[in-house]
Amino acid sequence: MREPDFNALATRLIESGISPRHARRTVNELRDHYDDLVDAAVDNGANSKAARLHAANELGPMDEFVGQMASRRELKTWAFRYPQVAIVVYPIACLAVLPAMPVLVGFAKRSALMRWGASLLAAGLVTAVLLLTMQLSIILG
Amino acid sequence: MAQSNPPFMSGVPELLLLRLLNEKEMYGYELVRSIKQATHEAISLGEGVIYPVLHSLERNGSLKSKRKTVSGRTRVYYALTKKGRDRLEKLRSDWSRIQGGVATALGAATNA
Repeated sequence: MREPDFNALATRLIESGISPRHARRTVNELRDHYDDLVDAAVDNGANSKAARLHAANELGPMDEFVGQMASRRELKTWAFRYPQVAIVVYPIACLAVLPAMPVLVGFAKRSALMRWGASLLAAGLVTAVLLLTMQLSIILG
Repeated sequence: MAQSNPPFMSGVPELLLLRLLNEKEMYGYELVRSIKQATHEAISLGEGVIYPVLHSLERNGSLKSKRKTVSGRTRVYYALTKKGRDRLEKLRSDWSRIQGGVATALGAATNA
């Protein structure tokens, strides 16, 4: 059996409806378990490669693992548990949020917006000073 | 290769996990070792199998988990809740009933 690809496993779990946070936690636990199995095999005299293969065998096939996680409805996100509801709710939620998007984006990018505002203000001030200087030079001859 | 168990084993991992966690909190690897030890290796699960069961039990409130750092590794320790103890008692009683029924049926078949 090949060594498990834990990054690919996380992606597959998310694709099968497990929430990203839960998928990451699951993969971390499984990776620690794998490391424990490798350590135990090395302690029993196996070389590094044999220990990793032994650990992968003990852990079982990743396809089976993904299948078992995916078969448990309670571990899935609500959109995967109630797909019909999600089909209705998601578009409505998107439409409802649409008018508020400029405000939300502005809040999310507030630091950039504040910098942009400050530079605009500075440019306005410089322009005003220049115009005032020109005006004064015309008036005073 | 991890030994697979027959289809009628469905539900057994849950019972064993609850039973072992009734004694003390444990993390995944420790639980698998304990199952092997407690069943004299009669039950040898594909080791990844326990995590979906653990997470389901946690999701329904039978278990609670907490992270601990041990020897530089972060472990997720699981412990039984009151709901988990109730679930264990129910599963234990169901199992005894089924076991008794099967034993009786097998005895009857042997004597027939």
